[in-house]
Amino acid sequence: MTMRNADRLASMPLLRPEEETKLRGWFAELQRPVELLVALGPEETPRPGSGDVDFGEEMVRVCEGLAELGGCVTCRVEDEPEGFPRFPAVSVRPEGRDVGVRYDGLPWGYELGSLVGAIVDAGRAEPTLRPESLEALEDLDRDLTLDVFVTPT
Amino acid sequence: MLLAFRCALASQRVSATAIEANEFPQLAQELGVYAVPRIVVDGEPRWDGSVPEAEFLRRILA
Repeated sequence: MTMRNADRLASMPLLRPEEETKLRGWFAELQRPVELLVALGPEETPRPGSGDVDFGEEMVRVCEGLAELGGCVTCRVEDEPEGFPRFPAVSVRPEGRDVGVRYDGLPWGYELGSLVGAIVDAGRAEPTLRPESLEALEDLDRDLTLDVFVTPT
Repeated sequence: MLLAFRCALASQRVSATAIEANEFPQLAQELGVYAVPRIVVDGEPRWDGSVPEAEFLRRILA
């Protein structure tokens, strides 16, 4: 019997038990609620070898899985919401506000750490940058768009 | 990646998006992504690789 990639993925736990414990600890310390808004829509060509994996479905599984680890983290799924040029994507929203923190594509492998880091930082009441960095940003008189290309490994 | 997210969380002027290069190959190709992390500022590829916070700020604000 052969197993579909999608079924194989769905049966894999999101985190190892020790990772789950660590995340539960971090999420328990969040000082404000964080919403994960998952945006689903038409996707680009799947990566070679991904076969029948439904990236949108997997994104929902990842984000709902994270939301289960802490009372302050919630997950909402929308179909083609405004402001999302690529799908699937997730917007990390402190207190439900769009502050311009987004992850386009599935946070696979090591990149799951980036999404977790974004949640932990979004849940802090105060920014985590150094004072001199905050001062430099305060002087910013124009909008700045940062795109960071990443891969799972 | 986290530094970019932190900048967005600290300033209403800044937005930060992580883009999974394998999943969006067309865009990655347009921006010449051969190494990661590749940092693109206001649509312009700027550098590849991680740098310390002070240097990151210096580069994005340059």
